[in-house]
Amino acid sequence: MSIPALIVAVVLAAAGAAAPGQSYKNTAPESFRANAQVTNSAAGVAAQMTFMIDAYTPDADRAPLLAALASGGSPGFVEALKKAKPVGSLQVGDLKVAIRYARMQATANGGRRIVVVTDAPVYFAGGGALNAKPKEGFDVAVAEFDVDVVGLGSGRIAAAAKVKAGGPAGVQIDDYAQQPIKLVTVTRDAR
Amino acid sequence: MLVNSWNMWVLASLIALLPAQGGPKKWTAPETFVAKAETRGATAVASAPITIQVDAYTKDADRKVMEEALRTGGYPGFLTALRKAPIVGSVMAGDQKFTVRWAKQVPDGTGRIISIVTDQPIFFVGGGKVGAKPREGFELAVLQLKMDDAGTGEGTMAAAARVKPGGETGVRIDQYADQPIKLVSIRREIK
Repeated sequence: MSIPALIVAVVLAAAGAAAPGQSYKNTAPESFRANAQVTNSAAGVAAQMTFMIDAYTPDADRAPLLAALASGGSPGFVEALKKAKPVGSLQVGDLKVAIRYARMQATANGGRRIVVVTDAPVYFAGGGALNAKPKEGFDVAVAEFDVDVVGLGSGRIAAAAKVKAGGPAGVQIDDYAQQPIKLVTVTRDAR
Repeated sequence: MLVNSWNMWVLASLIALLPAQGGPKKWTAPETFVAKAETRGATAVASAPITIQVDAYTKDADRKVMEEALRTGGYPGFLTALRKAPIVGSVMAGDQKFTVRWAKQVPDGTGRIISIVTDQPIFFVGGGKVGAKPREGFELAVLQLKMDDAGTGEGTMAAAARVKPGGETGVRIDQYADQPIKLVSIRREIK
């Protein structure tokens, strides 16, 4: 089985386009419900996820993560991420993991692009296959979704991922899954 | 008019009492079944098509060898005997093909119950969870199809299982998944 790679160029590096912060109408604390779906020609899986974002990661906390990635690679990044302050949680079924990185940036027409990184994987899609690949090294989950001004949108999640230095944006995401899991019908819940 | 109606009723009743032309259907191999495998939890659902090909039903002599191996040698003995038994069909799940070495059908009312055992597991449901339980020992798959006389039915699949002597039938099935996969919309393919 080949190891597919999902490259999300905007995840960390492009987050330099800083979150609008407190001046933005929609901001933390907030939560999003999403239906996660992965389908191919033969099968389909769907699950519900809830992202609780208590605060967005400030610039000052982002720089050490990028530095750790540059100097220590994926293990260095994970170590630094686990030392970062929790800024929310991601719940999938009865599993709840901490979000330690959450950024948002403005998009067209008042929308937002939100990126979160958890300090543990939430699901190994394809991990139940007879010839499933090893799970080692896929220590985080990375989600990215766009929402419009009323909080509706879509996105994708690498539910078990490896963050590496590299690629045009300096940050590369390797996804355990053979194909990215789509986040459909993302809905913001006011808190 | 009344007499004619009465005669028609009598005629219809007589026709209904006549044995069906050719007697009960005698299904036999080779035959193919297509089905949809479904499993659902509190917050997730998955489905995939499967195809079961039965080239022949296991001969009594071969079956007795396996039953005796289970009785005397337990699960390891059964597994050894199963893997030595003649191939009698296959299960196709996604793009993977699994060998069937046990296929048995027994009458059930006007229909039949078909049991199928493959010589390796097909899928570990829940194997993608964080902290999934070990897979060791779940080395085969067991399917049961409850078919009606029209060639449609439903069933269950223990996609990763082991068998043990015990229970009312003499065979107890332990499966990896928390709950059996349902086989729905089973249809016997007409060739």
